Amino acid sequence: MIDFLSICIAYAGFLTAVIFGIAGVAGLFRFPDPYARLQAGSLCGTTAVFSIFIACIAIAPERSIAARIIIIGIIFLVSAPTASHIVARFTWNSGIMPWRPKGTKRSADMYAQEKAPVKQQNKTD
Amino acid sequence: MQRITQLLSRQIPAVLYGMQWFLLICSVLILARMLKGPSSADRLAALNIFSGIVLAFLVITGVQKSGILYLDVALVYDIFGFLGFLAISHFLKNKFFSGDKTE
Repeated sequence: MIDFLSICIAYAGFLTAVIFGIAGVAGLFRFPDPYARLQAGSLCGTTAVFSIFIACIAIAPERSIAARIIIIGIIFLVSAPTASHIVARFTWNSGIMPWRPKGTKRSADMYAQEKAPVKQQNKTD
Repeated sequence: MQRITQLLSRQIPAVLYGMQWFLLICSVLILARMLKGPSSADRLAALNIFSGIVLAFLVITGVQKSGILYLDVALVYDIFGFLGFLAISHFLKNKFFSGDKTE
């Protein structure tokens, strides 16, 4: 028999997972830029998946299942932001500019800083 | 209180089933982004999210059927998925470094 508090935790976790999952997938399609899409994806991946883990710990039928979910959560908490960082670094090194709204201009120093990795890569090519 | 608890705990298998369908729809949309994405950075970001969604699906299935094997598979999938992701990004960095630019 599962008590009242753990059922409330489970329902709240699943509701949070649905809200953040919809937000993440919508951001994946609506944003104009790989960096912004990566941000939306990290939101979806980390928050939704981790709240699903918490809800599953609350309603786990056995202790061994809850312990395994905790270990999976720790490994996921280490690996997912690292992977996001690797993607952001790959995007920056492959020379994709961050998106700006039309009409705004970059200052010259900012432009030189942003252009720097592209120029280095073109030299090595 | 007792009656509310019984009523809510009776709905939990249906909630788990609904969450599985939600994760399936999310993963189909993410695969669409992975096929469509203009640059390889978009594809890598979509792959990162897709691995997390599959992990959540495996955990929900393990809790639903109370099978420990699903959770072991999820643990190994997480570790090896991260290693494979690292290998793919390293390969792309060496191979097509300035190949695709959106601008």
